[in-house]
Amino acid sequence: MLREKRAWSVETGKTDRTARVLPKSVLSIQASLISINPFLLEFAVPSISILDFRRALSLSVLVLLIGSLSGCGEEAPTETAADPSASEAPEVAVAEPPVDPPPAEPGEEPAEPGEEMAPLDLEKDELKFGFIKLTDCAPIVIAKEKGFFEDEGLQVEVIAQPNWKQLLDNVITGELDGAHMLSGQPIAATIGFGTKAHIITAYTLDLNGNGITVSNDVWAKMVENDPALDTPTPKHPIPADSLKPVVQEKLDAGEKLQMGMVFPVSTHNYEIRYWLAAAGIHPGMYTSEDIKGFTDAQVELSVTPPPQMPATLESGNISGYCVGEPWNQQAVAKGIGVPVTTNYDIWKNNPEKVFGVTKEWADENPNTHIAVVKALIRAGKWLDETDSDGNLVNREEACRLLSQPNYVGADFDVIKNSMTGYFFFQKSDKREMPDFNVFFKYYCSYPWYSDGIWFLTQMRRWGQITEAKPAEWYHETAKEVYKPEIYLEAAKRLEADGHIEKSDIPWDTDGYKEATTDFIDGLEFDARKPIEYLNSHKIGNKD
Amino acid sequence: MAESKLEKFKYGLLKLIDVSGFKVFDPVVRLVFGEEPRKQAGEVLKFLVTPVVFVLLCLGLWTVIAPRHKTKSGEVPTPVEVWDAGMIANTLNERENEKETDFALSGSQREAEITLVQQLLAEKKKQSEQLKAEAEKVAAAATEETAAAIAPVQKQYDELKAANKGAKTTRSGEIKKLAEAVAAGSATAEKLLQAIRDDNLASDEARDAEKELKDHMDEIRSNPPKAVKKTQLAYDAAANEVQHLSKRLDYLQKGNRSQKVSQAEQKTLAAMSKLESATTSSAILSAAKSVVQGEEKAARTAEQSYPRTATIWFQVRRSLFTVFVGFVMAAVIAIPVGIMCGLNKVVMACLTPIISIFKPVSPVVWLLIFQIVVGAFFPDPESHPLFVFFGSLPWIGELGVNPALVFSACTVAMCAVWPALVNTALGVSSIDKDHMNVARVLKLGLWSRLFKIIIPSSLPLVFAGLRISLGVGWMVLIAAEALSSSDGLGKYVWDEYQNGSSHSFANIIFACFVVGIIGFFLDRIMIVLQRSVSFDDGAAVV
Repeated sequence: MLREKRAWSVETGKTDRTARVLPKSVLSIQASLISINPFLLEFAVPSISILDFRRALSLSVLVLLIGSLSGCGEEAPTETAADPSASEAPEVAVAEPPVDPPPAEPGEEPAEPGEEMAPLDLEKDELKFGFIKLTDCAPIVIAKEKGFFEDEGLQVEVIAQPNWKQLLDNVITGELDGAHMLSGQPIAATIGFGTKAHIITAYTLDLNGNGITVSNDVWAKMVENDPALDTPTPKHPIPADSLKPVVQEKLDAGEKLQMGMVFPVSTHNYEIRYWLAAAGIHPGMYTSEDIKGFTDAQVELSVTPPPQMPATLESGNISGYCVGEPWNQQAVAKGIGVPVTTNYDIWKNNPEKVFGVTKEWADENPNTHIAVVKALIRAGKWLDETDSDGNLVNREEACRLLSQPNYVGADFDVIKNSMTGYFFFQKSDKREMPDFNVFFKYYCSYPWYSDGIWFLTQMRRWGQITEAKPAEWYHETAKEVYKPEIYLEAAKRLEADGHIEKSDIPWDTDGYKEATTDFIDGLEFDARKPIEYLNSHKIGNKD
Repeated sequence: MAESKLEKFKYGLLKLIDVSGFKVFDPVVRLVFGEEPRKQAGEVLKFLVTPVVFVLLCLGLWTVIAPRHKTKSGEVPTPVEVWDAGMIANTLNERENEKETDFALSGSQREAEITLVQQLLAEKKKQSEQLKAEAEKVAAAATEETAAAIAPVQKQYDELKAANKGAKTTRSGEIKKLAEAVAAGSATAEKLLQAIRDDNLASDEARDAEKELKDHMDEIRSNPPKAVKKTQLAYDAAANEVQHLSKRLDYLQKGNRSQKVSQAEQKTLAAMSKLESATTSSAILSAAKSVVQGEEKAARTAEQSYPRTATIWFQVRRSLFTVFVGFVMAAVIAIPVGIMCGLNKVVMACLTPIISIFKPVSPVVWLLIFQIVVGAFFPDPESHPLFVFFGSLPWIGELGVNPALVFSACTVAMCAVWPALVNTALGVSSIDKDHMNVARVLKLGLWSRLFKIIIPSSLPLVFAGLRISLGVGWMVLIAAEALSSSDGLGKYVWDEYQNGSSHSFANIIFACFVVGIIGFFLDRIMIVLQRSVSFDDGAAVV
């Protein structure tokens, strides 16, 4: 005890001396050396004489450290291993009907208006939804800004996501409760193309809304190939035939024309492929090895997040792209490209985005899910409200809201161009397109099985689904993803509250739209016969 | 006596300036105290006035050059525009603040605020309508003007096109004739080939001429008069204000917390009376259930807070917190490991390959790795105890601690750990041998040696390393946030880039200054810390 005390006092005295005797010059030189280049040190260290010290001890500390680190590593797997078991618990409940109160069967008589229904017992009332900066996220933004979520007792945060992959990952990890998704995303995730997870949707956000834009150069060449295009207002739809020589020219030069789309399972990918293939240009196949979809391609389609499309086009990495609004109008506004066609011309009133959640989330929060869909239906109806002349009355306000920097953030004018029923194909070519963005009309917000089947046929057509499947499989898969029962339950409640009309909702449908030939190549799509439809295409897989 | 007090104050001030590294202000202080005015004035002129003038010159140059560089996203913004964009970002922040207060207001305060906002709204609406009318008028005039400017060019273009078409048909006719002549043997094939070549050349020329006119027209179209943009912006600003005010009204009335609570309470009361009057067991049960539901709802609503939108100052706070977490992580790893490396050659040898291989790896790669690894630890982030704990803390809770913050911080730590580690190792290994010998003679224990000799004498270098680490960490963080879209300044910049609105470019440059200024202050803080543990009063650090 005494000795220790003495040692202490000696030490303190010594530290002071240490301080004074420290070699200043050496230190300052080294310090200046470090500030010039900290990486020099690495070479300097080994050459400096190491002090005599208890090496064994410091080594043992090191060993301890490594041991504890690797201990952490061992812990990790056990924790992850525990995961599935934890998440399995709710999955057992999946077998039982997930929605409580039990979902209304399609066709069941909706409740009488005015009849009071038991209020929804929300499982969760603070939610986070993700979106990509595109105008078709409008129903989510409107439901928040116009207070439709609040009417349901929900506090919602709406958060921009950088790209579709991250958005999906955030939904799967539970960081987000739900999100604005590409129609193909829930389907692809459910069947396991890309990230595997069971995602469902009970609400289709909109129809149409995409366009294909080519660079000024390519447009000039297309005009050269087809003199009919050489007017300020060429006739629409413009097929890809006049693009064919441009593609051929590139191929002859040993290159492939590069174009952009937003995600492998996006509507845009299927649309631009449809457009190219309709003119006999091969857009490339996906195979089990080639997950980029370049096999046999005459035009290579690569992924670029929507907001970067104009910049990528401008930088010359791609010569054209297929993307949602406002990024086609942006190309016109900036004068960097010419939108040649919209997806309305490729397939009239095609389904575009959906509101997706994980099945797990939906099973845990059935009432919250219904409340969310209720708010979205009201937002959709608000967006498509027209006055007696058929003019969309609320779109201007919607554009104002969407132009806020935390939502889409593009200039009000640019968003307005497409949202208010007009589309600029060139600065000199402004056309009326009242159905360019449809949020509620034509029963569009209903989650149609037939929409899912169209996407499945396209995934098979381009090889994303690698093996042939029976027709049954298409129907079953669509039913796993699209959940009209939740939609109808929400609609029933809204009708009881007097927020929607009885005629707004297709109560008695079996979930399949009528067969249609509204495609750019005039083929007939009947969702009841997926295999026949698949085989009717010239380019692509046939079963 | 007073003199010496003043002197004391002066030297205190000088010392402070010296420690914080703002040595340029040294002569100013001396000048104020009247010490060698001539010399000090010279110093001030040389080292303070000249740099300021230079910076002003740069700003002037920027103002002059920026509008001359036209990009496809508009002109490069001038300093004034950047400042305006910053002010708009600040306005957005203030609007969020207003809405937040509105949400929580209750009682008479709320009513007073409602009348105020309604008044403001009426005024602004009127103003906005006027501005709209004006913007439309200007836009219509501009359209006419553009049309008028284009008309002659269009005419010229049409004429040229017709002429070219005519010329082309004549040439084709001639070529056809020539071909017939060749067939008849009255002309050589060579002549025909030449004619075809000439024709192609002429066609190309014609096309170029047409293109030139067309480009000219496009240029006229894409350069509307400046007034159009100006009036449009003025209208937009007013319309946005209207939008904001009506939203505020919403938060004061329907969306107000106190209103929502009283609504829920009323519902509970209604259910209660139903419960009292109910007779059948099922009715009683359902009424009782709704009473409990109503109570819960009221209690939950009372605790609700306004869902804020992330504004620039929020992003700044979050970035600072993230960089701090990452920096602490880096320091906690770097200092002990660095000390071990410095003390023992074998440890150094063991770690050298690891350090040399991982040090040059790009932060982007680390980010992706941590994103995957960290995600696995938090299968259900919202109910994870760590995040629940952070969420309950007063200041930190509102920053939204989530896995994204954790992996951003890990990325920062991973990149910031190396300079601190290497410097610590150097600091420890360069301790004077005499000191260690003395320690051995005194038979000091390991801890005494560590805390009395090793750490104190290596501290200046450790702090030099930490300073570099913090700088690296701040730089890495912005990139990591931009890439992973984790809230923070990086995300702010990235979102602005993605917005692509007319303010975006200016906003990005504004954010660039914010990042720079914060980085500068972080560095200064580290300098102060470093100087306070250094024993040399060496030259000022830049």
